[in-house]
Amino acid sequence: MARRVMIVGCGRLGASVATELLERGDHVTILDTDAENFRRLRPHPRLKMRLGDGVSHETLRSAGIESAESFVAATGQDTTNALAAQSARVTFGVPNVVCRINDQVRSEMYKELGLTTVSPNQAVLELMLAAVGS
Amino acid sequence: MYVIVIGAGKIGFYLTRALLSANHEVTLIERDAIAAAAAAEEFGSIVVTSDGTEPSVLEEAGAKRCDILVSTSGRDATNLTACQVAKLRFETTRTVAVVTDPDHVPLFRELGVDVTISTTELILSHVEEELTGGPFVHVLPMQGGSRGVVSIRAPDDSPVVGRTVSRLSLPEGTLLVAVVRKNGDLQPALADPEIAQGDEIVAITPPEKEDDLWRALTGEAKR
Repeated sequence: MARRVMIVGCGRLGASVATELLERGDHVTILDTDAENFRRLRPHPRLKMRLGDGVSHETLRSAGIESAESFVAATGQDTTNALAAQSARVTFGVPNVVCRINDQVRSEMYKELGLTTVSPNQAVLELMLAAVGS
Repeated sequence: MYVIVIGAGKIGFYLTRALLSANHEVTLIERDAIAAAAAAEEFGSIVVTSDGTEPSVLEEAGAKRCDILVSTSGRDATNLTACQVAKLRFETTRTVAVVTDPDHVPLFRELGVDVTISTTELILSHVEEELTGGPFVHVLPMQGGSRGVVSIRAPDDSPVVGRTVSRLSLPEGTLLVAVVRKNGDLQPALADPEIAQGDEIVAITPPEKEDDLWRALTGEAKR
């Protein structure tokens, strides 16, 4: 079933997530503070690109967060992602919130607070160690 | 007291200076090397050039034994993260965050930041005081925000003017502490003073009773 997903951050990660979700049939709204970053995406009937700061509640509201079923915080900054994701979760009650957090300690902390966290560094590290062999 | 200050911008810099001159122990954490160097020139070795949102940095700065952590950066995301890490990982007793976007204030409170300082709200409360003569000022949150000390100026046409404190009907869980006269005289509520025009009424109340308290003391709905 098609979901409505909001993504904050249109860097490599955010743009890739958006592309994949569109292919699966989801509706995607993606936010970034730099219009240049939208070049990573092609126009799509189920894609909205919004220029704005994903930590601003006003921006999130006008971008339609109140009807989003999932939220992905995918900027390159842990602190921005944490504020955006906790706003989505606590202020707007988005049911499914995923947050990119590089720092391991903070990642665990946000997990305890009910966020789903993804740590690219840790994931790559594990893949590399597996590839190197024990 | 031991205070960790994050951010050596204008607020962090002058706060550190004031705390030191009051003989408190301070560590000032600033990520930007240039700003940190400028601060170190004034304060010496208490300045740490590092990212105050990093758990390892806070641990080394002694977040476990610090009494208060104040995060003063211009980025709300930085201040929230520093306070959450201190609170949840190092059990810092009290965390204070400067908040730029007033929309973030309720969220920060809910996420466990003990004190939020919104410059916009501070200035607004003073503007409102000039405009209406009846501001509602949050003086101090207590018990993690479940109660707060508030101050309300009784408007001239308030229904409570002329009544004594013991005859006021206040919302449940609300305690009237004192009445401050226009001339600065402090009247403890226990002395049962009569409310006069222009008095400031200081009370302790749970946040959800603030609107009721405002209505009881001013006779009108809170804005």
